[in-house]
Amino acid sequence: MTFHAPGEREAEDRAWEVVRAAYEQREPVSWPRRHWQPLVAVAVVAAVVAAAFSPPGRSVVHSLREAVGVKQAEQGLFSLPATGQLLVTSREGAWLVHADGSKRLLGRYRDASLSPHGLFVAGTRANQLVVLDPQGNVRWTLARSAPRFPAWTGTRTDTRIAYLSGGRLRVVAGDGTGDHALRRAALVAPAWRPGPGRVLAYSDGREAVVVDADTGAVLRRLAPKPTKLAWSRDGRLLLVFSPSKTRVYDGRRVVAADDPSEATVDRDATFAGRNDIVAARAAGNGSSVFSLVSGRTFFRGTGVFDQLASSPDGGWLLVSWPTANQWVFVRLHPRKIVGVARITQQFGRSARIAGWCCG
Amino acid sequence: MAGSGRDELAWVRRAQAGSASDFEALFRAHWGPAYRAAYLVVRDAAAAEDIAQEAFLAAVRALDRFDRRRPFGPWLHRIVVNRAIDWARARALRPEAPQVDGPAPEPPERDEQPLRELGRLSPEHRAVIVMRYVLEYTPGEIAELLELPRGTVNSRLRRGLDALKERLE
Repeated sequence: MTFHAPGEREAEDRAWEVVRAAYEQREPVSWPRRHWQPLVAVAVVAAVVAAAFSPPGRSVVHSLREAVGVKQAEQGLFSLPATGQLLVTSREGAWLVHADGSKRLLGRYRDASLSPHGLFVAGTRANQLVVLDPQGNVRWTLARSAPRFPAWTGTRTDTRIAYLSGGRLRVVAGDGTGDHALRRAALVAPAWRPGPGRVLAYSDGREAVVVDADTGAVLRRLAPKPTKLAWSRDGRLLLVFSPSKTRVYDGRRVVAADDPSEATVDRDATFAGRNDIVAARAAGNGSSVFSLVSGRTFFRGTGVFDQLASSPDGGWLLVSWPTANQWVFVRLHPRKIVGVARITQQFGRSARIAGWCCG
Repeated sequence: MAGSGRDELAWVRRAQAGSASDFEALFRAHWGPAYRAAYLVVRDAAAAEDIAQEAFLAAVRALDRFDRRRPFGPWLHRIVVNRAIDWARARALRPEAPQVDGPAPEPPERDEQPLRELGRLSPEHRAVIVMRYVLEYTPGEIAELLELPRGTVNSRLRRGLDALKERLE
């Protein structure tokens, strides 16, 4: 088994953006000048394995790799602890997991989102937005350049899908009609406000923007530059998350704030329980999941917690723990912990929770 | 996983000529080992990300001067490991205050002693163990990359592993 350091994949994506920008800005040196540089060959010493080091080396490395994780974790996701369906994306594609643990690989989709009642899934692949039924059958497709982050809202009879393409926030009806660009947007998943009206939060790259999707009117601009946006179940509160600064707004008023110190970084935050807001924070070699409201710590472990997702009834929190290759389901009141191991083996590399809905 | 030597040579050549996709292939092939090595030396995900990213930025700056007869991976790992050792040394001189955020639940983990004990080794010992058993360089290659005598690498490996073994038993 290959060892993966915590947060490796996400760090790779972040670093690639920085490194690519540096590469694109460089001015290549012309061919002749490049070859005036002294050519110094490096002789790589032939592989000499010091046998005396190997046995203890192997055992130590093995124990390092096996050191982290919930004790007695389930070896498979045999069932979900709460009702609903879990949507997961990974290098293998999008998976739909039912409460009884049965799961289906819907196809090779990069992002995915469940419709409001869990009847359909919107997925993205190279240059297509695709809507599927839960069996993976394609219902319609829309050709758009590199679509990302579909988000679905609406009623049983009238739905909208927001997504990003070509640097713009776009909206299309649930039947694939009426696709149109709304505004310029940064690569952050948009979030529909639950409840009546079609109100959407997105990032324009500088701040969070709340917009009326029907008219295009901007309703609010909120200060922090977000990497994640989420609404509370009642649509009253908006979470504007970034690793170094998180704010929760009720209208324009800040009702909760979190500013990790220099030595720490927040990996994710979400609404949970009735009115709680929980965050996953990495500090030094460990991480913790705690309430921004009460300060209560729900769970703590070595390495990095990558992602948080709340069950449809709000009673359980799913914590992804790539360091341990585990998911941990945490019941908030009274606290109970259920670990599920071998996530990579079950879903493929870079498994991410795309939604848990519709209990 | 890193590509073959032939792939890598082609990626470097075409990246020098301005092919962003080949530069991305080079980046994707080498990010994992670089980040893992940095993480295991500094044991801090944010610092590891900075160190690995800085190494790739150094690669961008040096790309046009890069000698294609040299393998790219060892050149990159040398930067990563040296920076990680520097960072870990600096961190040891200014340890951060312990995290205080209220009583934590009972730790529901398996024994994390091996990771903890690796972190207690000196950065120099950590580095050679990571290069040997994670990046899978031979002691001779480690000596070359870190510009150390071969005997020093061997003794650091032996002492580091002995210390880990003793503490884990």
